[in-house]
Amino acid sequence: MIENIYRPFKVIISEIKQLSENVRLFRLKLDREIDYLPAQFFMLGVWGAGEVPISVASTSGRDPYIEFGIRKVGKVTGALHELKAGEAVWMRGPFGNGFDLKTAHGRDIIFVAGGIGILPLRALINHILMERHFFGRLFLIYGSKRPSEMLFSDEIPLWKEAGIDVILTVDIKDGLWRGYTGVVTEHIDRIKTDFREACSYICGPEVMIENTVKELSLRGMPDHLINISLERRMKCGIGKCGQCYHGIEYICINGPVYTYEDIKKRLALYGA
Amino acid sequence: MIERFILDKNDLSYWLRQIRKNASLIAPVKSLVGDVVFESLEQIHEISLDHPLPPPSVKEFLFPQIETMFEYNGDEIKEIIDEEMRVVVGLRSCDASAIKIIDRFFAGETGSDYDMVHPNRKYKDPYYFSRRQNTVFISMGCNVPGAVCFCYNLGAGPFLDSGFDIQLIDLEDRYLVEADSEKGKGLVRRYDYLFRKVETGDLEDRFEALLSSISKFEKRIDLRETGQKIKNSMPDSFWQWVAERCFECGGCVYVCSLCTCFNIVDYNFSNQSGKRCRIWDTCLFKGFTEMAGRVIPQEKKEQRLKRWWFHKILYYPEQFKTFGCVGCGRCTITCPGHIDIATLSEKIMGWR
Repeated sequence: MIENIYRPFKVIISEIKQLSENVRLFRLKLDREIDYLPAQFFMLGVWGAGEVPISVASTSGRDPYIEFGIRKVGKVTGALHELKAGEAVWMRGPFGNGFDLKTAHGRDIIFVAGGIGILPLRALINHILMERHFFGRLFLIYGSKRPSEMLFSDEIPLWKEAGIDVILTVDIKDGLWRGYTGVVTEHIDRIKTDFREACSYICGPEVMIENTVKELSLRGMPDHLINISLERRMKCGIGKCGQCYHGIEYICINGPVYTYEDIKKRLALYGA
Repeated sequence: MIERFILDKNDLSYWLRQIRKNASLIAPVKSLVGDVVFESLEQIHEISLDHPLPPPSVKEFLFPQIETMFEYNGDEIKEIIDEEMRVVVGLRSCDASAIKIIDRFFAGETGSDYDMVHPNRKYKDPYYFSRRQNTVFISMGCNVPGAVCFCYNLGAGPFLDSGFDIQLIDLEDRYLVEADSEKGKGLVRRYDYLFRKVETGDLEDRFEALLSSISKFEKRIDLRETGQKIKNSMPDSFWQWVAERCFECGGCVYVCSLCTCFNIVDYNFSNQSGKRCRIWDTCLFKGFTEMAGRVIPQEKKEQRLKRWWFHKILYYPEQFKTFGCVGCGRCTITCPGHIDIATLSEKIMGWR
């Protein structure tokens, strides 16, 4: 018998935290050891609603639990939001390649997050802080639509303390907002680094990714040091259902992380 | 090593009758309204081997249009794996060639450098392979290709050299039976009293039949040239022209023996019970790539058509060293907009 890779296992929710109006952080108790990398994803499901790919927000080797940040946008995420602590979700994974950190060794790193794109980057940042000595200076540009949609306001001060240069920006500010306004690309020049030697990790909406890549490229960042985590519709997670295929790639198995070099060569995205 | 035998045509029905004792027998059958479709054979004499290719491909016996994967009832989860023994007879060389390719696809082994990108991520599909392991295909070489066929240009027919379970070649009064896989050989050996040894004359007749068949192809399609042209010099206006002719019916994909994209859907019986199924889906539908928040990477019809074409003509060769087409011509029969692979290839070659 072939192992049924479509069969999910049951996991109990130990805690749910409201991160913003429609984003919740689900903390799950694992009864088995699972190693995963930042930007890898799991298929999370509720029987009767279906399964969706969600990237991990926690850090393997650091956190004794696994966490997923989920925005309520559709049928399955809606069903997941109905769940309470003590109830079960069904999951399988991890799938995908995850962020490659070797090329970042010894370099300054720029993290660029848009919206809930901060979730996989949170996993990455916490991972990098665990092995801080391998890397140069760290910068984070994090853009949200509104201040109320900014996630992890309790963790960002910890990142600052750990020496990360954090730039927060919103599209629409309210009275209390003390940070910057405008899209993330407007703030790239606030980063004082040699872009030709630094590397970057980007996650967010497709338009944001495209513009960020252009701006970094323009400042001389080599294509193979620009790491991008892509989002696609996925039903299987194992390169069969075809929903995520793009160019010669099945993004669920060969991605979701690509360097700009790969994207030009293998995905033919962004007019490349 | 291929084993060859001769089967008297009169003995075919006896052989099939014996086979049916241990497996469900599937063959082309002419329905009351005149359509030829692959069906479970009730009466042996209903088998219809002389008709052209049935419009639906045989992929549905390995990858059904709707397949239940799990049944759930509260926390109780039951895997539904099909283990029925099947023998499918009367498929054509193009179908058998397509199975060779989708075997590699569902095994997660493309057999090219593509595997080397992430060698640890090969996933074998349990649903497909359970059916595949329990199915024997007896394909037929085509002595007279259909008007829409161009398998010869793709190396997918009219006869196959290897990679099949069993291949029958019609030599007028007898069949040359060629068994390649172990499963295929077993099905011949078990009834060895029906078969006799091949003589030189039989192989000469095979060669004659092959030459005669090759000479009868009406369509000559060179997808390599088509590929070069769509890669380098087809303007956006061409894809708009194609899009105007596409009805978005998905017919080409449903009949295609190589299209295997699917969706996974849960159907509820009650509050807590139901089933999780996979159903055929197609990249030509707008909702196929729709993500959370109504983001659709391939929103425009021309983008979706281009993606389908690029996948079949350009990306398949990179992954599988073969085109995503076996030249069966089913899309030519099905497409109401006349933008099927063969017709559009000819159009592309003449486009200025």
